[in-house]
Amino acid sequence: MFIVDDLLVRPFVSLIGILQAMAINELFDRSELHDQLKENQLLYELGERSKDEYETHKAEIEAELELAEEVQSRLSGRVEVKG
Amino acid sequence: MSDHVYAYGVLEQQDLSLTVDGVEGATELYTVDYKGLSVAVTDIETTDVERSDENVQAHDDVLQTVLTHEDGRTIVPMSFGMAFKNARTLKGVLRGARRAFRKALNDIDGTVELGVKLVSTGDGDPPDLSEVRDRLSSVAINETDDDLFSDRLLLNRSYLVAREDQAAFGAVIDDIEAEHEESVLVKYTGPFAPYNFVDIQIGAEGR
Repeated sequence: MFIVDDLLVRPFVSLIGILQAMAINELFDRSELHDQLKENQLLYELGERSKDEYETHKAEIEAELELAEEVQSRLSGRVEVKG
Repeated sequence: MSDHVYAYGVLEQQDLSLTVDGVEGATELYTVDYKGLSVAVTDIETTDVERSDENVQAHDDVLQTVLTHEDGRTIVPMSFGMAFKNARTLKGVLRGARRAFRKALNDIDGTVELGVKLVSTGDGDPPDLSEVRDRLSSVAINETDDDLFSDRLLLNRSYLVAREDQAAFGAVIDDIEAEHEESVLVKYTGPFAPYNFVDIQIGAEGR
Protein backbone atom coordinates (compact mmCIF):
# COMPACT_ATOMS: atom_id res chain seq x y z
CA MET A 1 0.00 0.00 0.00
CA PHE A 2 2.85 2.31 0.85
CA ILE A 3 4.20 2.21 -2.71
CA VAL A 4 0.79 2.95 -4.22
CA ASP A 5 0.24 5.87 -1.78
CA ASP A 6 3.66 7.25 -2.56
CA LEU A 7 3.05 7.12 -6.32
CA LEU A 8 -0.30 8.88 -5.91
CA VAL A 9 1.03 11.62 -3.64
CA ARG A 10 4.37 12.32 -5.33
CA PRO A 11 2.99 14.42 -8.26
CA PHE A 12 1.22 16.69 -5.78
CA VAL A 13 4.32 17.08 -3.62
CA SER A 14 6.33 17.90 -6.73
CA LEU A 15 3.74 20.43 -7.89
CA ILE A 16 3.71 22.12 -4.48
CA GLY A 17 7.49 22.39 -4.62
CA ILE A 18 7.35 24.03 -8.04
CA LEU A 19 4.57 26.41 -6.98
CA GLN A 20 6.55 27.35 -3.90
CA ALA A 21 9.66 28.04 -5.97
CA MET A 22 7.63 30.15 -8.42
CA ALA A 23 6.15 32.18 -5.57
CA ILE A 24 9.60 32.78 -4.11
CA ASN A 25 10.99 33.71 -7.51
CA GLU A 26 8.22 36.27 -7.91
CA LEU A 27 8.66 37.60 -4.39
CA PHE A 28 12.40 38.02 -4.91
CA ASP A 29 12.36 39.14 -8.54
CA ARG A 30 15.82 40.59 -9.15
CA SER A 31 14.99 42.15 -12.51
CA GLU A 32 12.11 44.06 -10.91
CA LEU A 33 14.50 45.29 -8.20
CA HIS A 34 17.05 46.36 -10.82
CA ASP A 35 14.27 48.29 -12.56
CA GLN A 36 13.42 49.98 -9.25
CA LEU A 37 17.07 51.00 -8.87
CA LYS A 38 17.05 52.55 -12.34
CA GLU A 39 13.75 54.31 -11.69
CA ASN A 40 15.10 55.72 -8.43
CA GLN A 41 18.13 57.10 -10.30
CA LEU A 42 15.90 58.56 -13.02
CA LEU A 43 13.60 60.34 -10.56
CA TYR A 44 16.62 61.74 -8.74
CA GLU A 45 18.17 63.00 -11.97
CA LEU A 46 14.85 64.63 -12.93
CA GLY A 47 14.79 66.41 -9.57
CA GLU A 48 11.67 64.59 -8.40
CA ARG A 49 13.55 62.92 -5.55
CA SER A 50 15.92 64.68 -3.16
CA LYS A 51 19.40 63.33 -2.54
CA ASP A 52 18.26 61.98 0.86
CA GLU A 53 15.21 60.26 -0.63
CA TYR A 54 17.32 58.85 -3.43
CA GLU A 55 19.91 57.43 -1.06
CA THR A 56 17.29 55.99 1.32
CA HIS A 57 15.44 54.27 -1.55
CA LYS A 58 18.70 53.03 -3.03
CA ALA A 59 19.83 51.49 0.26
CA GLU A 60 16.41 49.80 0.72
CA ILE A 61 16.38 48.34 -2.79
CA GLU A 62 20.00 47.18 -2.54
CA ALA A 63 19.21 45.41 0.74
CA GLU A 64 16.25 43.67 -0.94
CA LEU A 65 18.45 42.76 -3.88
CA GLU A 66 21.06 41.26 -1.60
CA LEU A 67 18.37 39.20 0.15
CA ALA A 68 16.91 38.14 -3.21
CA GLU A 69 20.31 37.00 -4.44
CA GLU A 70 20.88 35.00 -1.28
CA VAL A 71 17.45 33.34 -1.47
CA GLN A 72 17.84 32.62 -5.20
CA SER A 73 21.28 31.17 -4.68
CA ARG A 74 20.01 28.87 -1.91
CA LEU A 75 17.08 27.85 -4.06
CA SER A 76 19.15 27.19 -7.13
CA GLY A 77 20.60 24.09 -5.55
CA ARG A 78 17.14 22.61 -5.04
CA VAL A 79 14.51 23.62 -7.56
CA GLU A 80 14.95 25.43 -10.82
CA VAL A 81 11.97 27.09 -12.43
CA LYS A 82 12.39 28.65 -15.83
CA GLY A 83 9.77 31.22 -16.76
CA MET B 1 53.36 49.01 -6.68
CA SER B 2 51.64 46.42 -8.88
CA ASP B 3 51.81 45.96 -12.65
CA HIS B 4 48.03 45.68 -12.93
CA VAL B 5 46.29 47.73 -15.59
CA TYR B 6 42.66 48.78 -15.88
CA ALA B 7 41.30 48.91 -19.45
CA TYR B 8 38.66 51.40 -20.62
CA GLY B 9 38.47 50.78 -24.34
CA VAL B 10 40.19 50.03 -27.63
CA LEU B 11 41.29 52.56 -30.28
CA GLU B 12 43.21 52.59 -33.52
CA GLN B 13 46.87 52.45 -32.52
CA GLN B 14 48.03 55.86 -31.35
CA ASP B 15 50.05 57.56 -28.64
CA LEU B 16 47.62 58.94 -26.12
CA SER B 17 48.55 60.34 -22.75
CA LEU B 18 45.93 62.17 -20.70
CA THR B 19 45.33 63.33 -17.16
CA VAL B 20 42.02 61.83 -16.02
CA ASP B 21 39.90 61.10 -12.95
CA GLY B 22 40.09 57.35 -13.40
CA VAL B 23 38.93 54.20 -11.66
CA GLU B 24 40.31 53.80 -8.10
CA GLY B 25 41.64 57.35 -8.22
CA ALA B 26 44.09 56.79 -11.11
CA THR B 27 45.13 59.98 -12.88
CA GLU B 28 47.44 59.03 -15.76
CA LEU B 29 45.94 57.42 -18.81
CA TYR B 30 48.23 55.86 -21.40
CA THR B 31 47.99 53.15 -24.05
CA VAL B 32 49.05 49.52 -24.36
CA ASP B 33 49.58 48.74 -28.03
CA TYR B 34 49.23 45.55 -30.03
CA LYS B 35 49.36 45.22 -33.82
CA GLY B 36 47.49 48.33 -34.88
CA LEU B 37 45.30 48.58 -31.77
CA SER B 38 45.74 50.61 -28.60
CA VAL B 39 44.00 50.04 -25.29
CA ALA B 40 43.44 53.08 -23.08
CA VAL B 41 44.51 52.06 -19.56
CA THR B 42 45.40 53.38 -16.14
CA ASP B 43 47.43 51.63 -13.46
CA ILE B 44 45.51 49.93 -10.66
CA GLU B 45 46.43 48.07 -7.47
CA THR B 46 43.90 45.26 -7.77
CA THR B 47 42.30 43.05 -10.41
CA ASP B 48 39.11 42.80 -8.32
CA VAL B 49 37.66 46.26 -8.86
CA GLU B 50 34.89 47.41 -6.53
CA ARG B 51 31.73 48.24 -8.44
CA SER B 52 31.07 51.46 -6.52
CA ASP B 53 29.11 54.40 -7.95
CA GLU B 54 32.34 56.42 -7.99
CA ASN B 55 34.29 53.79 -9.94
CA VAL B 56 31.49 53.21 -12.46
CA GLN B 57 31.18 56.96 -12.99
CA ALA B 58 34.96 57.28 -13.36
CA HIS B 59 34.97 54.52 -16.01
CA ASP B 60 32.30 56.37 -18.01
CA ASP B 61 33.97 59.76 -17.52
CA VAL B 62 37.31 58.50 -18.82
CA LEU B 63 35.66 57.01 -21.91
CA GLN B 64 33.90 60.32 -22.50
CA THR B 65 37.20 62.20 -22.12
CA VAL B 66 38.87 59.99 -24.72
CA LEU B 67 35.83 60.20 -27.00
CA THR B 68 35.83 64.00 -27.01
CA HIS B 69 39.58 64.68 -26.74
CA GLU B 70 40.82 67.12 -29.42
CA ASP B 71 38.71 66.40 -32.53
CA GLY B 72 37.29 63.28 -30.97
CA ARG B 73 38.23 59.68 -31.62
CA THR B 74 36.49 56.35 -31.98
CA ILE B 75 36.78 54.04 -28.99
CA VAL B 76 35.30 50.58 -28.50
CA PRO B 77 34.31 50.66 -24.84
CA MET B 78 35.08 47.83 -22.48
CA SER B 79 32.58 47.01 -19.81
CA PHE B 80 33.30 48.06 -16.26
CA GLY B 81 35.79 46.05 -14.22
CA MET B 82 38.30 44.96 -16.87
CA ALA B 83 41.49 44.89 -14.82
CA PHE B 84 44.41 42.77 -16.00
CA LYS B 85 47.39 41.32 -14.20
CA ASN B 86 49.79 43.26 -16.40
CA ALA B 87 50.22 44.73 -19.88
CA ARG B 88 51.41 41.39 -21.22
CA THR B 89 48.19 39.66 -20.12
CA LEU B 90 46.20 42.42 -21.77
CA LYS B 91 48.15 41.96 -25.01
CA GLY B 92 47.30 38.26 -24.84
CA VAL B 93 43.61 39.17 -24.72
CA LEU B 94 44.05 41.57 -27.64
CA ARG B 95 45.71 38.83 -29.62
CA GLY B 96 42.67 36.58 -29.13
CA ALA B 97 40.07 39.28 -29.79
CA ARG B 98 41.90 41.35 -32.41
CA ARG B 99 39.48 40.58 -35.23
CA ALA B 100 36.45 41.36 -33.08
CA PHE B 101 37.93 44.69 -31.96
CA ARG B 102 38.95 45.56 -35.51
CA LYS B 103 35.42 44.84 -36.77
CA ALA B 104 33.85 46.83 -33.92
CA LEU B 105 36.15 49.79 -34.64
CA ASN B 106 35.09 49.73 -38.29
CA ASP B 107 31.40 49.40 -37.38
CA ILE B 108 31.37 52.44 -35.07
CA ASP B 109 33.98 54.58 -36.82
CA GLY B 110 33.08 58.27 -36.58
CA THR B 111 30.00 57.72 -34.42
CA VAL B 112 28.83 58.45 -30.89
CA GLU B 113 26.05 57.05 -28.74
CA LEU B 114 23.30 59.36 -27.53
CA GLY B 115 20.62 58.51 -24.98
CA VAL B 116 17.01 59.72 -25.07
CA LYS B 117 14.38 59.23 -22.41
CA LEU B 118 10.86 60.65 -22.64
CA VAL B 119 9.25 60.70 -19.22
CA SER B 120 5.53 61.32 -18.78
CA THR B 121 4.60 64.30 -16.61
CA GLY B 122 1.06 62.95 -16.27
CA ASP B 123 -0.32 66.19 -17.78
CA GLY B 124 -1.45 67.08 -21.29
CA ASP B 125 -1.78 64.84 -24.30
CA PRO B 126 0.99 62.27 -24.75
CA PRO B 127 2.98 62.57 -27.99
CA ASP B 128 2.53 60.22 -30.92
CA LEU B 129 5.41 57.90 -30.04
CA SER B 130 5.69 56.30 -33.42
CA GLU B 131 6.11 59.73 -35.00
CA VAL B 132 8.70 60.71 -32.36
CA ARG B 133 10.63 57.48 -32.98
CA ASP B 134 10.60 58.07 -36.75
CA ARG B 135 11.97 61.59 -36.35
CA LEU B 136 14.82 60.42 -34.15
CA SER B 137 15.57 57.42 -36.35
CA SER B 138 15.85 59.66 -39.41
CA VAL B 139 19.06 61.22 -38.03
CA ALA B 140 20.52 58.05 -36.53
CA ILE B 141 22.45 55.12 -37.97
CA ASN B 142 21.14 52.58 -35.50
CA GLU B 143 19.13 52.38 -32.29
CA THR B 144 18.34 50.03 -29.45
CA ASP B 145 14.94 48.77 -28.38
CA ASP B 146 13.13 50.57 -25.60
CA ASP B 147 14.07 49.73 -22.01
CA LEU B 148 10.91 50.85 -20.21
CA PHE B 149 11.96 50.14 -16.64
CA SER B 150 9.47 52.62 -15.17
CA ASP B 151 5.75 53.23 -15.77
CA ARG B 152 6.67 56.88 -16.28
CA LEU B 153 8.88 56.12 -19.28
CA LEU B 154 7.36 56.54 -22.73
CA LEU B 155 10.59 56.05 -24.65
CA ASN B 156 14.09 55.03 -23.59
CA ARG B 157 16.52 54.34 -26.39
CA SER B 158 20.17 54.68 -27.27
CA TYR B 159 21.02 55.99 -30.72
CA LEU B 160 24.16 55.53 -32.77
CA VAL B 161 24.73 58.85 -34.52
CA ALA B 162 27.48 60.09 -36.86
CA ARG B 163 29.55 62.80 -35.19
CA GLU B 164 28.61 65.26 -37.92
CA ASP B 165 24.89 64.58 -37.32
CA GLN B 166 25.02 65.19 -33.59
CA ALA B 167 23.83 68.79 -33.91
CA ALA B 168 20.94 67.73 -36.17
CA PHE B 169 19.95 65.06 -33.66
CA GLY B 170 20.06 67.68 -30.88
CA ALA B 171 17.81 69.96 -32.96
CA VAL B 172 15.21 67.18 -33.30
CA ILE B 173 15.33 66.69 -29.53
CA ASP B 174 14.82 70.45 -29.00
CA ASP B 175 11.79 70.40 -31.31
CA ILE B 176 10.23 67.41 -29.55
CA GLU B 177 10.81 69.02 -26.17
CA ALA B 178 9.24 72.30 -27.28
CA GLU B 179 6.22 70.61 -28.87
CA HIS B 180 5.43 68.40 -25.88
CA GLU B 181 6.70 70.38 -22.90
CA GLU B 182 3.46 69.91 -20.98
CA SER B 183 3.24 66.15 -21.31
CA VAL B 184 6.86 64.94 -21.30
CA LEU B 185 10.21 65.59 -19.70
CA VAL B 186 13.07 64.89 -22.08
CA LYS B 187 16.33 63.53 -20.78
CA TYR B 188 19.01 63.70 -23.46
CA THR B 189 22.46 62.34 -22.59
CA GLY B 190 25.79 61.80 -24.27
CA PRO B 191 27.87 61.63 -26.24
CA PHE B 192 28.99 58.25 -24.97
CA ALA B 193 31.28 55.61 -26.37
CA PRO B 194 28.88 53.25 -28.22
CA TYR B 195 28.41 50.66 -25.45
CA ASN B 196 25.12 49.45 -26.84
CA PHE B 197 26.37 48.89 -30.36
CA VAL B 198 29.36 46.66 -29.77
CA ASP B 199 29.26 43.23 -28.21
CA ILE B 200 32.64 41.76 -27.36
CA GLN B 201 32.80 39.32 -24.47
CA ILE B 202 36.09 38.87 -22.69
CA GLY B 203 36.07 35.96 -20.26
CA ALA B 204 37.64 36.12 -16.81
CA GLU B 205 40.10 33.43 -17.86
CA GLY B 206 41.68 35.93 -20.19
CA ARG B 207 42.61 38.21 -17.32
